Amino acid sequence: MSSDVRFTDFKSDKQPTWCPGCGDFGTMNGMMKALANTGNDPDNTFVVAGIGCSGKIGTYMHSYALHGVHGRALPVGTGVKMARPDIEVMVAGGDGDGYSIGAGHFVHAVRRNVDMSYVVMDNRIYGLTKGQASPTSRSDFETSTTPDGSQQPPVNPLALALASGATFIAQSFASDALRHTEIVEAAIEHDGFGFVNVFSPCVTFNDVDTYDYFRDTLIDLDEEGHDPTDADAAKEVILDADKEYQGIIYQDENSVPYHELHGVTGDMSEVPEGAPEGAMDLVREFY
Amino acid sequence: MAADLNWAIGGEAGDGIDSTGKIFAQALARAGRHVFTSKDFASRIRGGYTAYKIRTSVDDVQSVVDRLDILVALTQRTIDENLDEMHEGSAVIYDGERSWEAEIPEEITAVDVPLKSLAEEAGGAIMRNVVALGAACEITGFDVAYLDEALEKRFGGKGSKIVENNKEAARLGQEYVAEEYDLSHLGYEMETTDADYVLLNGDEAIGMGAIAAGCKFYAGYPITPATAVMEYLTGRIEQFGGHVVQAEDELSAINMALGAARAGARSMTATSGPGIDLMTETFGLIATSETPLVIVDVMRSGPSTGMPTKQEQGDLNMLLYGGHGEIPRFVLAPTTIDECFWKTIEAFNLAETYQTPVYLVGDLAMAVTEQTFPPEAFDMDAVEIDRGKLVDDEEVDEWVDEKGRFRAHANTDDGISPRAIPGTVDGAHMSTGLEHDELGRRTEDTDVRVEQVDKRNRKVETAIEREDWEYREFGDPDADDLVISWGSNEGALVEALDRLEDDGVSVRVLSVPYIFPRPDLTEEIEAANDVIVVECNATGQFANLIEHDALTRVKRINKYTGVRFKADELAAQIQERLAEEVPAQ
Repeated sequence: MSSDVRFTDFKSDKQPTWCPGCGDFGTMNGMMKALANTGNDPDNTFVVAGIGCSGKIGTYMHSYALHGVHGRALPVGTGVKMARPDIEVMVAGGDGDGYSIGAGHFVHAVRRNVDMSYVVMDNRIYGLTKGQASPTSRSDFETSTTPDGSQQPPVNPLALALASGATFIAQSFASDALRHTEIVEAAIEHDGFGFVNVFSPCVTFNDVDTYDYFRDTLIDLDEEGHDPTDADAAKEVILDADKEYQGIIYQDENSVPYHELHGVTGDMSEVPEGAPEGAMDLVREFY
Repeated sequence: MAADLNWAIGGEAGDGIDSTGKIFAQALARAGRHVFTSKDFASRIRGGYTAYKIRTSVDDVQSVVDRLDILVALTQRTIDENLDEMHEGSAVIYDGERSWEAEIPEEITAVDVPLKSLAEEAGGAIMRNVVALGAACEITGFDVAYLDEALEKRFGGKGSKIVENNKEAARLGQEYVAEEYDLSHLGYEMETTDADYVLLNGDEAIGMGAIAAGCKFYAGYPITPATAVMEYLTGRIEQFGGHVVQAEDELSAINMALGAARAGARSMTATSGPGIDLMTETFGLIATSETPLVIVDVMRSGPSTGMPTKQEQGDLNMLLYGGHGEIPRFVLAPTTIDECFWKTIEAFNLAETYQTPVYLVGDLAMAVTEQTFPPEAFDMDAVEIDRGKLVDDEEVDEWVDEKGRFRAHANTDDGISPRAIPGTVDGAHMSTGLEHDELGRRTEDTDVRVEQVDKRNRKVETAIEREDWEYREFGDPDADDLVISWGSNEGALVEALDRLEDDGVSVRVLSVPYIFPRPDLTEEIEAANDVIVVECNATGQFANLIEHDALTRVKRINKYTGVRFKADELAAQIQERLAEEVPAQ
């Protein structure tokens, strides 16, 4: 890993096709800066993304990457990290990708506490399919598929993470570049599953959860004197239905990542030219 | 008396049928006898009829037959279920002290042994099956010392007290029969040899093959009859620097395996038909992103939940055609348990050489059957590894464009691109299920689309030319009639040849371990008079392929009862088909 990596080294020469003003620009910039600031290098970084606007991120970034199928980015990231604990793994997704089709995987990735960061670009709408309700859409939000509002309460991803045993829960805002970068950096540096829900406004289809809305309502936990190691305080923030927060909400300082807990610390990409040494013992076992 | 002996234990699930059968099978293998086992079980944890059958001989045995010589019956139903296979020389070991009344026909020798009481005398009622094993040794004249060895292997980890108690239980069973009965008229002789055999089933052979091939990562979700692959690897793969993850579902399992493969590890998942359904979406991604991955399908009876604990070879069409769009792939189907080992290794080599997903197809009959082999059948020194076009830091330079970007999907003559794994300097690139250019970037350019589709398909064309897609041949090479089989039917078919020969019928048998690509059998088919395709499904999926390839009609033997073919029934059915008119061309 070279020490003079700049965040632009993580940028590809492909121009993003996100709508002008999309929150995903800021979200991605923060991710690239956080990767560079934490001493990573494109050749030692693996970015996984699913489907949707968020899924395009692998194209606009430069690193080893896989753009997979809808909702399954976390298992892919898990497989990469197990095989190569030496590689920095970052998973990107959207609210549909992560909390709807991939909700099951989210719960299990959290509980496994695999050492990777998971950045969810939450715009509370389905953007790429042109404006349908998402799992984080407000229940009264009117969309093409919910003309009278969805009538279903939104998923609280932070609560889902907490209930699944998360060791790092954070929330950031794409437009607050410094704080967002700082929070993603902390997620990368966390020993375990670093989960960041990012408010990443959709300027085309969501006229409720806008930049102005978040600017006006977001409460910064640092300014509140919040202690992220205090589980009870974290629970209060997460279950507060009336306010929106940014910052590191919860961090378990004693977190032991999966690969260390299970002794999966070697590089699995090495394969000998024949059967591994001692393989004949496997045959003798059947005697 | 027949040279081979057919033994079975039956009772309710939860009675320890399986482990008792396994102990006896191991004892026989230790005595240098060949063993072929089969299991009959229901999809439930406790209760329901379950049986473990052993066919054993000093000669090679590869099939089950319609004859039962010694039966350990723990329930009345066990006797009822097996009556049609018993004969005048058969003996039934049962416990007359049990509440059920054993109704055993007169011509069959009833051996009433107080299994429970003797087991309690040895230290616990749980050992009643071992008492029965001791009794079986006495009836067959099998040296109980081999049973002692098997008991030591089985219970050694639980302490010497448990081992001694079990040995005592076996001895009590043996002595009881010796004192109470004179069974010399049955005339059983259990010859032993100096041979050292290993005893294993198809799932274990696949797991062992994976480790031999350098597989380090496995993710799976439990499903009958593929779970034993994961159970085998768990606890063993770690000794070789690998890891097993029990995923939350099959979708996760295949995606984890995909992630590990992209990170450079030899990676595998195994499931059965319903799991393949769930994995199919990602299967397309694996092929399009050109990721090497081995996906094992241990088939069971379908569709839907079907009969989860019963045999069938019904997934062929799905494995060949499953997934939207057109997906280049390889489909390998080992025909015997030892071939499960070798074909698993070959599957990894093909996956990495051609950077494609490879389906390895087993079936329930092979997965749960234990069979003896000389250890040399799994000669680890003969294992060869081919990682294909994996490039290192220096070689990457040959594959970058003018801007220094790695061409991960470079369009080459053989269709195979270089592969750089994370950590390779200047090899960073994205892979995607979207149509992409040489750099892996999304494209809708018509020329690039056609170029990349052709490139991926060309890998299969290259493989068809380069690799040896052979078949296995048995029987009379000059016979007029041809029998074609795939998967686990081979053993029964090979044994059927002896019975056919007794009736003066000779056939040539081709057993095909490759489904796609597969050997071209046109010449063999054209030279034959009758062609019969044998398979465990209702619609003749492999027969349809053969007809398509050779542009001719074939005769078919299909079995979809949920039970595997037996040698004697196959011999009879082949004779029947040969007598039928040749189907219209």
